[in-house]
Amino acid sequence: MAADSAQQTLIDDIVARLELALKRRYGEAASVENVAIATLGASNRTLLFDLVEPGSRRRLVLRQETLKSAVSPFISPHDQFEILKVVYGHGVLVPEPIFELEPQDDLDVGYVMACVEGETLPKTLLKAPEFAVARKRFAAQTGEIFAKLHAIDPGEVAFLEKVVDSIDPLAAQISRYDAYGEYHPGLDVGIRWLENNRPKAKPRVFVHGDYRNGNVILSPDGIEAVLDWECAHIGSAMEDFGWVCLRAWRFGNIDQPVGGFGPRDEFYQAYTSNGGQAIDEEEIRWWEIFGSLRWAVLNMMQADGHISGVRRALPFACCGRNTSMIEYDMLMTIEGHFS
Amino acid sequence: MSQDKPDIKEILVTVKQLLESIANKSQGGERYDALCGAFLLSVVDRELDFGERQDESQSAELKQLLGREGSLSDLYTRFCQQVRRGDMDEQWPAAFDFAFKQVIDKVSVTNPKYLAEIHRPD
Repeated sequence: MAADSAQQTLIDDIVARLELALKRRYGEAASVENVAIATLGASNRTLLFDLVEPGSRRRLVLRQETLKSAVSPFISPHDQFEILKVVYGHGVLVPEPIFELEPQDDLDVGYVMACVEGETLPKTLLKAPEFAVARKRFAAQTGEIFAKLHAIDPGEVAFLEKVVDSIDPLAAQISRYDAYGEYHPGLDVGIRWLENNRPKAKPRVFVHGDYRNGNVILSPDGIEAVLDWECAHIGSAMEDFGWVCLRAWRFGNIDQPVGGFGPRDEFYQAYTSNGGQAIDEEEIRWWEIFGSLRWAVLNMMQADGHISGVRRALPFACCGRNTSMIEYDMLMTIEGHFS
Repeated sequence: MSQDKPDIKEILVTVKQLLESIANKSQGGERYDALCGAFLLSVVDRELDFGERQDESQSAELKQLLGREGSLSDLYTRFCQQVRRGDMDEQWPAAFDFAFKQVIDKVSVTNPKYLAEIHRPD
C-alpha cells in the first residue's frame, strides 16, 4: 500500500506540473483530464491524458525519460522528438509530435505527442481474433514502412551520426557488455563470430533501431503507428530487418519470422517493390545474430538496474537469468539450427 | 547444512506454492511479480540440483582447454578474453563447443523447456 500511495503522489505531482505546462502553451483555460498510466517503464514513463480547451478535447501522451545511466543505449528525448518531426513530415506512421518539455516545465526531459488508439501487447496481437487481418498484413506493411523510412536522406537526421551505434554497432554493444563486468562465454564466442563475419559495407541509411512486435501500435486493420525511436541511428538497412525477425520478438510463433506475424518473402517483396534496396539474406542473418547479443546486453542492463538498486523489480531480476536463453538462440542460429 | 526439517528443497516448494497462489488470486503488476518470484525460486531449485555438477564439469573442460589452473570465475574471464582477442581461433570448434555446453547448462537451470529436445537434461 505504501508503494501504491507513493506512486499516486508521484503521478499527482506530474499531472499538476503538466497542467501548468499546458496552460503556458495553450492558455489559462487548458486543463488535464482522464489521466492513465501506460507504462512506468524501464527507461521511460508514459502517461495518457486529455488536453481540454474550451470547445475541444484531444488525447495526448506525455513521455518522460526515467533511465539515468552512464551506459544508457538510448538517444536523448530531444533527439527522439527531432526524429518524430522528421519522420512525421515524411508520412511515416508515427504519432504527431506536439511539443517538447522545457526546463521551466519542471517535468524532467521528454515530450508530448498525439495518442494513437490501438494495441501494442505482443501476445494479444498474436492471438486475439480481432487482429486476424492486421496479423496477415503485418509483414508486407512493415516492408512498406521500412522502404519509406530508409529512403529518408540521413542528412535530415545528421545529429544521429554521433551516436555510437552509427559509428560501429558491434563495438557499441561490446562496450555496453563490458560495462557490466560479467563474463558470458556464449556471448564472447558470438562476438568473435560476428567480428570474423562482418558484412561488407552498404549504403548508410536512417534506421529505426528498435522496430519490433511490441513497439508498433496495431488496430484490427493493421499498423497505425511506429513507436520507440530511442535507438534510431545511421547504419545498414539490413539491421532493421534482422531486429524485427529476432527470435525473441516472435513470442513463440517461431515459424513466422517477421515479429511472429508473417513470412519473410512477403516482407522482402513489399520492401523492394516500394523502392527499397536489394535484400541481402546473409547479412540479415548476421544482424539476427548481432540482435541476440544486443538483446542479451539489454537484459543485463535491466538486471543491473535491479542489482544496483536503481530500479529494483522482480521482472528485472528475471532478465539477468534470461540472457542464457538469448545466448542459446544466438549459438543455435550460428550453428544453422535456427532460422 | 542444517539437518532440521523442512530441508531447503521443501522450503523452496512451500514458498513457491505461496507465490503461485498469490498469482492466481491477483492481477496486473502484483500477479506478474508473484509469477516472477515463483520462476526465480524454480531457478534456485534447479541450480541446487545441477549447479555443483555443472561447475565441476565446466571447470575441468576449461582447465584442459586453457592449459592452466584457477577458480571457475578466473577461468571464465580468461576464456572470454582469449576468445575475444582471437587467441582461440586455432581451436575454434573446441572453444565453440565449450561455450555451447556452458549455455545449455545455464538454460537447463533457467528454463529447461526452452531447450531443443536433444539438449534437454535427463
